[in-house]
Amino acid sequence: RVSSDGKPPKFQPPPKPVIIDRKTQKEESRFLSPEFIPPRGRKDPLKYYIERKDMIQRRKVFNIPEFYVGHILAVTTANPLASDKCSRFVGICIQRGGTGLGATFVLRNVIEDQGVEICYELYSPRIQAIEVLKLEKRLDENLMYLRDALPEYSTVDVNMKPVPRMDHEEIPVNKVQVRMKPKPWSKRWERPKYNIKGIKFELPEHKMQAAQKWSQPWLEFDMLREYDTSKIEEKIRKELREELGK
Amino acid sequence: MRLSVAAAISHGRVYRRFGLSPRSRLDLLRNLVTALVRHERIETPWARADEMRGYAERLIDYAKRGDKDERAMRMADFWLTEKDLIHKLFKVLAPRFQPHAGSYTRLLQIPNRDGLDRAKMAVIELKGNPLPPLVRPRRDSDRTLLNQLLKGYRQDAQRARGT
Repeated sequence: RVSSDGKPPKFQPPPKPVIIDRKTQKEESRFLSPEFIPPRGRKDPLKYYIERKDMIQRRKVFNIPEFYVGHILAVTTANPLASDKCSRFVGICIQRGGTGLGATFVLRNVIEDQGVEICYELYSPRIQAIEVLKLEKRLDENLMYLRDALPEYSTVDVNMKPVPRMDHEEIPVNKVQVRMKPKPWSKRWERPKYNIKGIKFELPEHKMQAAQKWSQPWLEFDMLREYDTSKIEEKIRKELREELGK
Repeated sequence: MRLSVAAAISHGRVYRRFGLSPRSRLDLLRNLVTALVRHERIETPWARADEMRGYAERLIDYAKRGDKDERAMRMADFWLTEKDLIHKLFKVLAPRFQPHAGSYTRLLQIPNRDGLDRAKMAVIELKGNPLPPLVRPRRDSDRTLLNQLLKGYRQDAQRARGT
């Protein structure tokens, strides 16, 4: 290069790289626990606001991790009758129900050939710790059909170590197709009302066709049944961010 | 035993029952929505008009998303049985209601039907339609006391300005 005075050109340091931390930004706004979203109804929103304040108060003291149906959790509860005064249960979360402070989740495991399901309340003061051992979503939001599936699909090792999470971005979806015990089942899972994608139906073709008789194709077009929660969710997320950030 | 009171409690259910089945109820309302989009003002029993109002307004909300949207097109395809009205919905009604946030219809009650059933009838129309208006807003007469006093005040103010 031609310099102006014959001296070597002044050293220009390269511009500093600007690091935009998109990962932490995305994580905050992505997940909202389903019990925060109020159901559709004619109740006064003040009731839900007060409940949310109590829920936030509990969350400040006790950490409730983000989890979905299909995750493997270990829960320690206080138990006055046990020798350690606490008892630990490991299982797959098959259902998350309820709204507000009464929100529950059901963990299922098979212990010594006996299927065990325990329904815990998220905000109960008896719960001392909730650990997520394995993160994986499933194809459905309700895994009640595991009761009628072969027991190998519900067994979880009690002494399992927490699987380290590879990425802070996506939760993997386990597309396993579960094999069922022979009929009768507790519910007719092949019917379209349950809309289950995670079962490998080994029923004959005419039975699957007969189950489609109960399908209601017009329900998808019934516009008044849709509950659009995007605006409500935004407000609640903002509220949570403000309160928990303090 | 007062059975009638127990029968009138709906326990939170908001959808009325029409026709032979839930499918038939939706078909009935679909015909009414198609007629509303075609003629922009229709006369039906009040209960059907009230039920149909919600669906018509949600359909227009879907149409506002634009015809490129897959879901909006499927909804319009289901709800409008006459397919030339899909074009009218997306090209005429959606731009007409774009500035409004909601309430695109007007529901007014009319005298009961002349037939044997004497049903409660209503007229439901889309706002901004090209037909003559149903309700003419009437001004108060000039002879009322308040209006006479205001008229006098206006005349005095004019005289004061003039001189």
